[in-house]
Amino acid sequence: MSSDRRSAELAELKAAAAQQGSRFRRFEDLCWPKGARIAVNITVDFDAMLLRRLNNEPPMELAKGEFGGRVGVWRLLELFAAHDIKATIFTPGRICELYPEALRAAARAGHELADHMWEHRVPKEADRARDHLMKTAAALEAIGGRRPVGSRSHYPPSLLHEQGFIYNSHGARSHRPYSVLDERGQPLLLELPFHFAIDDAMFFSFAWYRSGNAGQRLADTDRVFDLWLAAFQQQYRQAGYLNICLHPFVSGRALRVAMLDRLIAAMKAQPGVWFASCEEVARHCLAAQTACVAPKAAPSP
Amino acid sequence: MPWKQGYTISDEKSLADAEVHWPDGKRCAIHIVVDLSVASGPEGIGAEDLASPAAAFAVNDGLEGLLDALARQALRATFAVPAVMAECYPDRVKDIVGRGHEVAAHGFKGEDVSALRREEEKARIALATDVLAAIAGRRPAGWFALPRQKDAFAGGAISANTMGLLLEAGYDYMGNGLADDLPHYWVTDFASRQAILTLPYYYHFDDQFFCMFPTEGTGLENPDALLRNWRAEFDAQYRRGRFFGMTLHPQHSGWCHRLAGLEEFLGGLGRLSDLWNPTGAQCARYWSETYPAAKSLKLAPSIWQDYPGSLS
Repeated sequence: MSSDRRSAELAELKAAAAQQGSRFRRFEDLCWPKGARIAVNITVDFDAMLLRRLNNEPPMELAKGEFGGRVGVWRLLELFAAHDIKATIFTPGRICELYPEALRAAARAGHELADHMWEHRVPKEADRARDHLMKTAAALEAIGGRRPVGSRSHYPPSLLHEQGFIYNSHGARSHRPYSVLDERGQPLLLELPFHFAIDDAMFFSFAWYRSGNAGQRLADTDRVFDLWLAAFQQQYRQAGYLNICLHPFVSGRALRVAMLDRLIAAMKAQPGVWFASCEEVARHCLAAQTACVAPKAAPSP
Repeated sequence: MPWKQGYTISDEKSLADAEVHWPDGKRCAIHIVVDLSVASGPEGIGAEDLASPAAAFAVNDGLEGLLDALARQALRATFAVPAVMAECYPDRVKDIVGRGHEVAAHGFKGEDVSALRREEEKARIALATDVLAAIAGRRPAGWFALPRQKDAFAGGAISANTMGLLLEAGYDYMGNGLADDLPHYWVTDFASRQAILTLPYYYHFDDQFFCMFPTEGTGLENPDALLRNWRAEFDAQYRRGRFFGMTLHPQHSGWCHRLAGLEEFLGGLGRLSDLWNPTGAQCARYWSETYPAAKSLKLAPSIWQDYPGSLS
């Protein structure tokens, strides 16, 4: 490699790192309401069989997803009610036509309905992507009575911002919520970090993201209980944040509802745990950003 | 588009725990399925499978071990038998019937039928039914389409025609569905409300995914996780008063310490006097009479719409 090529490569890598650093900003000293030590968002990705349908998976895979709509989502709603927890239900717009009754029940119980794409994909064409986002927002508003302000999706942040969304919950550039910035360094959206390590499907859903048989996820509930409780405790020690991602067709199985019941009880046994909807956490962070905390730029590369 | 075809196969909401009742005031049902297939992949049982050491173990030590454990624990099971296994081992199948277990069909050779033409699939169902009826002494009431270790998915493979063909062939139930953890109706025709009763299955309670999975030799051995799954699900479903189903294979659960673990688990259940342990046909008969589709299947009219730029 010539020295010119080495310099060019170095410049390219530095530009990529600088771009990364200029597109998000962490909050310094983010503190939770009423002195809480940790904020916990329980989130439900209610795609049922939609993703499997989109991937053209066979009938039994769709039936596996259908469990989420017929059985699982109801059990999760019961679990949240028993613990007096408000959750966020990330819902593909199409689910409004498949399981309207469950969504109405969720909204009545005070849970937040948020966007999870129209049919679990973001079209490449910008107009169609906007159309999907608007259709989902309208469908969720028709069912829940409120236009969603949050999303778990691959939509461009600028599009979500344009459509009045205040947060996305998809990336994990930090443990704690952070701002996603536009090209001029202005905050566009809040990101509520979601991580695959705290996602039930990663441990329990066979053929997840078309994974092959030798890499299957067949964990038992004790193992996931231990891992997730350890994640909670680590964040608890540092005034952190935990976003737990559940799929009704996965976590709605009886053995996992029982595990989650134990997990939530173990978290509640600690003082100062703030269980909130994603919207509540997002609004708290946005208020803190403008009112009480001087945001500090992420370290420049 | 009619109903939610291509998306859902049953109604919008399952029965609540409080709506579930079992015979004689029993609290929970336990259904044990023993899969007699030795197929390793979607093509079903081949000569190589039948010649393997695992198959020899399955039809001898493994099966004997399971049958003895079931007898000691006074439990009944449904044996899902591929027709070719009955042809190759008729005495084994007769022995299973003689011990009070149910023999159900598991395909012609435990194969993936999803790519078969309708006529071919129909012919195989007829042949498998006749073979099993002749050897077991009665027509099978249930049909299984269980998965194999090398399948791309863990739920079992059917074609678009399978469920309708099973109704036509007079089957009372289909043995492995995933849309509920109770018996439920799989709708084959929305307009006429035609549906086949389907018993629940879940791969987390099927030993083949925990015993040298996916391939003997390089696979992963997790029988401890399987036991924890059985215990956790049984405890939860027993509390709810619903249904617990497990799927066993002689070549997997019949082996050594796995068999000991299985029997320890089953022995724990034996202490519970309020468990109902039907075979598939007994469970299907009770369910069809107590929760007939005409009354319990609540199919809402479709509000599904077609949109440009969306999947239909």
